[in-house]
Amino acid sequence: MIHFYVCLKQVPDVYAPLQIKDGELIQDSGRMVLNAYDASALEEALVLTEKHGGKVTAVLAGPEKAKETLRKGLAMGADEGVHIVTEEGSAYDSLYYAGLLAAFFRDKEYHFISCGKQSQDTDAGLTGSMLAQLLELPYATNAVGLTLEDNRLLVKRQGDHGQEMIELPSPGLVTCSNDMNEPRIPSLKGIMQSKKKPVETIQASSLTGDGIRSVTTLLGYEEKPKREPGQKFEGDPEELAITIAGLLDSKENLM
Amino acid sequence: MSTHSFHLSDPYLFESELSEDDRMIMETAREYAQTKLEPRALKGNQEEMFDISMAKEMGELGLLGATIDPKYGGVGASQTAYGLVAREVERVDSGYRSFMSVQSSLVMYPISIFGTEEQKERFLPRLASGDIIGCFGLTEPDHGSDPGSMTTNAQKTDGGWILNGAKMWITNSPIADVAVVWAKAKESKEDKPVIRGFLVEKGMPGFTAPVTKHKMSLRASSTGELVFEDVFVPDANVFPDIRGLKGPFMCLNSARYGIAWGAVGAAEFCYEKSRQYVLDRKQFGHPLAANQLPQTKLADMLTDITTMQMLAWRLGKLKDDGRDHHAMVSLAKRHNVGKALQIARVARDMHGGNGISGEYRIIHHVVNLESVNTYEGTYDIHGLILGREITGIQAFVPKG
Repeated sequence: MIHFYVCLKQVPDVYAPLQIKDGELIQDSGRMVLNAYDASALEEALVLTEKHGGKVTAVLAGPEKAKETLRKGLAMGADEGVHIVTEEGSAYDSLYYAGLLAAFFRDKEYHFISCGKQSQDTDAGLTGSMLAQLLELPYATNAVGLTLEDNRLLVKRQGDHGQEMIELPSPGLVTCSNDMNEPRIPSLKGIMQSKKKPVETIQASSLTGDGIRSVTTLLGYEEKPKREPGQKFEGDPEELAITIAGLLDSKENLM
Repeated sequence: MSTHSFHLSDPYLFESELSEDDRMIMETAREYAQTKLEPRALKGNQEEMFDISMAKEMGELGLLGATIDPKYGGVGASQTAYGLVAREVERVDSGYRSFMSVQSSLVMYPISIFGTEEQKERFLPRLASGDIIGCFGLTEPDHGSDPGSMTTNAQKTDGGWILNGAKMWITNSPIADVAVVWAKAKESKEDKPVIRGFLVEKGMPGFTAPVTKHKMSLRASSTGELVFEDVFVPDANVFPDIRGLKGPFMCLNSARYGIAWGAVGAAEFCYEKSRQYVLDRKQFGHPLAANQLPQTKLADMLTDITTMQMLAWRLGKLKDDGRDHHAMVSLAKRHNVGKALQIARVARDMHGGNGISGEYRIIHHVVNLESVNTYEGTYDIHGLILGREITGIQAFVPKG
């Protein structure tokens, strides 16, 4: 019986309108959603356990109001949930979450931990790798396909130069790309049943260990700098080529 | 200035008042509608085509007859949740919402309320899963707002009834496996006829369901007639106890409630698209949105949408608490669809030439809402229902 833990994060709906006012980020819609990469990680764990048998536990570290996102994970099909409740409105960084999760996982038994490769709000892409380091687990990132063979995970990952196949022993950790599947939409039946699934609630303050600290500070939000308008050249192609080659040489130092 | 932000599509934050169950159901419906229905809506409207695979997709997610008892394939969702589903589906297209409303409110609802245990078990689970499709026959070629004058009739015979007559403007009729049909029934030739409900199944001899052609509205859903020529309907397919117009009116009341919510979705779509359009489109060197006329048009739209949201949300709560009255439903259906139609027409205007192109999807909402304003009790008939409540005097039958 394979046991997956899938880490979920609640993120602002990045497709809803956002504004930046006085260095603060304002979400016009206030909508919070399940991080799409985590949804893919959960989908793949569900597919594998549906095929081979096993259990999926969804773990979410986030404030009280994030429990709705954990419930979405249960509605999709996770068997049970763990909510590590953090303080409302605090700007924690990737190391903090990795430390928190590492403290939670320290005494747990499992075959694999699966995370999204990054989250849609900050796109940092650090928590999964940091968690593997803290737990001293073998890991693979940016998975685009997972296969299970005798409790080993064959990870197809998108590398810089092409796709790589990595065999991951258990226990191990994998971070997932959203390219590997189309996460299921929770059915109404799943939503109703999710209420009855067990959820363990743990206060973040009760967890102790290395790394439960933020090492970066959020100073504020700024609009992206406006792009300088491009230059337009017109005329005889031969002369244009000479002009542009000259500019690439003198201005951009590319020649 | 306020420390809170102003929510541009839910200004009075009604979504934050929803229960967790209802909000999660809304999210599922939204995700499904935006990812699976929206990509098919342009083709559906332009080519006048309903993709029948939608029935099973909606069924798998539990979007059909969501309020029905889980014993019969529903999930026992709240009335508010049912309304929220209608809003999300109609945000894409009134035709898709019509399909969903008919299946849920006009077919599954009457079977679950008026049907025998055997009828419930025979039909409801397959209707919930989308394996079979249902339709509802009340309106006739010569009897729309005045269904009491219907001429479709049923005469008792050995082991069943003989049905004759025709129904018109029936959503889902050409694709339906079962039709809930209301007809004037007589046990014997001398009896006074009384309206009763029949479950007419595809393939019964003498029963046909021709397609209604040349529709310029609700083109993404299927519409047709129901024609009965000496159709034998066995006793097992008749609702045992319900008599009179109360039966169909209870169904319509449930569907109209969903329509009041659906109109919110269609209006929100038109408003949000118009807002983006006037922000993006520049004329005379400035975005259209920098002008006073587009701004007040958007302000009017958002004000109306907010009142529509408040009505639908409150009505859902009243229904969930069992405190609703049919006049409340008339008020919300009339107001919300009337306003949605106005909003869609203004949105068409704001989109200029692009407003008439199917690509922008505004024109589909305009022409769809023309139907929605008419079906399930016209705008004016709902005014008369309210008028009767307000004055105590019915004005349906002219006294001239």
